[in-house]
Amino acid sequence: MRGTATLRLTRLLGFAGILLWGLSVSPVQAESPNSVRLSTPDQVQSDGTVPGNVLGNTSDADFWRGVNHGEVGKVSIPDKKAAVMINRTGETWRNVRTGPVMLWGGLLIGGALLSVVGFGIVYGKFKLHGPRTGRVIPRFSQPERWVHWFVAGLFMILGLSGLVIMFGRTVLKPIIGADALSIMANASLQAHNLLGPIFIVALVIMLVLYLKDNIYQNGDFVWAFKGGFFSSHHPPSWKYNLGEKSWYWLLFFAGGAISVSGVVLIFPTLPGDVQGLQLSQIVHVVSAIALISASLGHIYLGVWGVEGALDSMTLGYVDETWGLEHHRWWAELEIKKDHLVEGAPDAVLAANKAENS
Amino acid sequence: MTFLEVVEGPLWYLSATIFVIGAAWKVLGILRLGRKRDLSIPRASASIGAFKAQFLHFVPHGGFTFRTIYHLVAGYMFHIGLFVVMLFAAPHISFIQGNIINLEWTPLPYWGFIVAAQFAFAGLILLWVRRISDPVMIKISDRDDHIGSWLTFLVMLTGCMALQESVEALRATHMLLVDLWLIYFPFSRLMHAVTFAFSRGYTGAFFGRRGIVP
Repeated sequence: MRGTATLRLTRLLGFAGILLWGLSVSPVQAESPNSVRLSTPDQVQSDGTVPGNVLGNTSDADFWRGVNHGEVGKVSIPDKKAAVMINRTGETWRNVRTGPVMLWGGLLIGGALLSVVGFGIVYGKFKLHGPRTGRVIPRFSQPERWVHWFVAGLFMILGLSGLVIMFGRTVLKPIIGADALSIMANASLQAHNLLGPIFIVALVIMLVLYLKDNIYQNGDFVWAFKGGFFSSHHPPSWKYNLGEKSWYWLLFFAGGAISVSGVVLIFPTLPGDVQGLQLSQIVHVVSAIALISASLGHIYLGVWGVEGALDSMTLGYVDETWGLEHHRWWAELEIKKDHLVEGAPDAVLAANKAENS
Repeated sequence: MTFLEVVEGPLWYLSATIFVIGAAWKVLGILRLGRKRDLSIPRASASIGAFKAQFLHFVPHGGFTFRTIYHLVAGYMFHIGLFVVMLFAAPHISFIQGNIINLEWTPLPYWGFIVAAQFAFAGLILLWVRRISDPVMIKISDRDDHIGSWLTFLVMLTGCMALQESVEALRATHMLLVDLWLIYFPFSRLMHAVTFAFSRGYTGAFFGRRGIVP
């Protein structure tokens, strides 16, 4: 019995001793026998030297700060760009893309939409002043109409998918949630990349077909100075007025910029460095925003805002009254040419509008 | 059972059955119509004329080339692109192997798929643009033509949207539209994919019998 009691006492004392020893060891020491206790900020870092000289004498913080600021190291491989571990221009690009581009781009598109709606409410539909004559003049050839609608259709798909990619996270995510946006953005990106190259080819064909009559010429500014769209009586103009010609050249330059930058984005090795890609992305977005905003006005005027305008792009012919009221100088020349359009089905359809109006 | 499993399982088998039976039923119906007996004395073989027409009608007669160049080019772009994508896209081969016939053939590389799909899209859009802007085509096009065009377009578009194969919902959407397309096929002018051979054969036999190159 006595021997058993002594054994128990010995075990108890031994356990208490182990417990006291364990409590005397600090958590830092417990984690790593090689770690250094850093009690004051001065000790934490002093001129980049880590006290203790245990893990080297250079501060990791300084090292990573340098990497984070794009410090260039040394590499033995041909691609010298690999010497930069973190490219700081990515952050700058992200800030521009999600900052001013998104803000001003959104405001521009929203503003254009509101302007078109406001214009429609204030001015309504531009109706013909005189009655239709039933005599028509050709305005757009069949190839011109085909390529226009082809480009227009692709523009709608690319524009909508591009807006989802650009503004989806800001506009759609709070409404439809992250999962649905992820699906939409994924689908939009695929469609955008696939249809983009077709758009480029079609755009080039369209710009070539429409070039001849869109070169600025004497008299274009007369239309603008006399009030343009805002004039109660339509000022005279050539086949295209100053507004239409400006829309063409916007399409020429912005569409060209979209096309070139789009090709770079699809083939990311083309520019040679990541800055080229970042620049292409910004150019792509800014040009697209400009085109989308302007296209709202074009769609409004072409489809609904101007009576008879849609006929020119669906049937190819316009009534003489329409021609003389909207594009007098052009219409007078065309009437003199005395086109043989009698019997052409599209001309007959256009002329029938006079009977139905 | 997930939505994808439904559209790739029971709905797929149902639509494929409707497609096969419906198309066969329609072909049988056409064949049963027969034709009036031709009492003229044959100057050449009607059968050879029917056979020749199958191939000669792949290109327009010389005098019509210019007038038909638009839909000739657009038509070939669309149909060749579509068949290449349908038969040689890697996901399609994998699906065909798993659900129709266990044969193996080499899929197109990714870039080849993209080019074929772009041709198909460009062709289809050009054909539809012609349908809505050509004064004659406007008049002779009805709802069926537009539904067929749009359904095919949506099948292709959703297929391309699911290209990354990372989102199940996109694949399911594509398959749902494929199923709808298969169901719609026998009851619409999409049947031209089958009936064109009968049409050419009939015309070829008619002219062939009279000794005229069909």
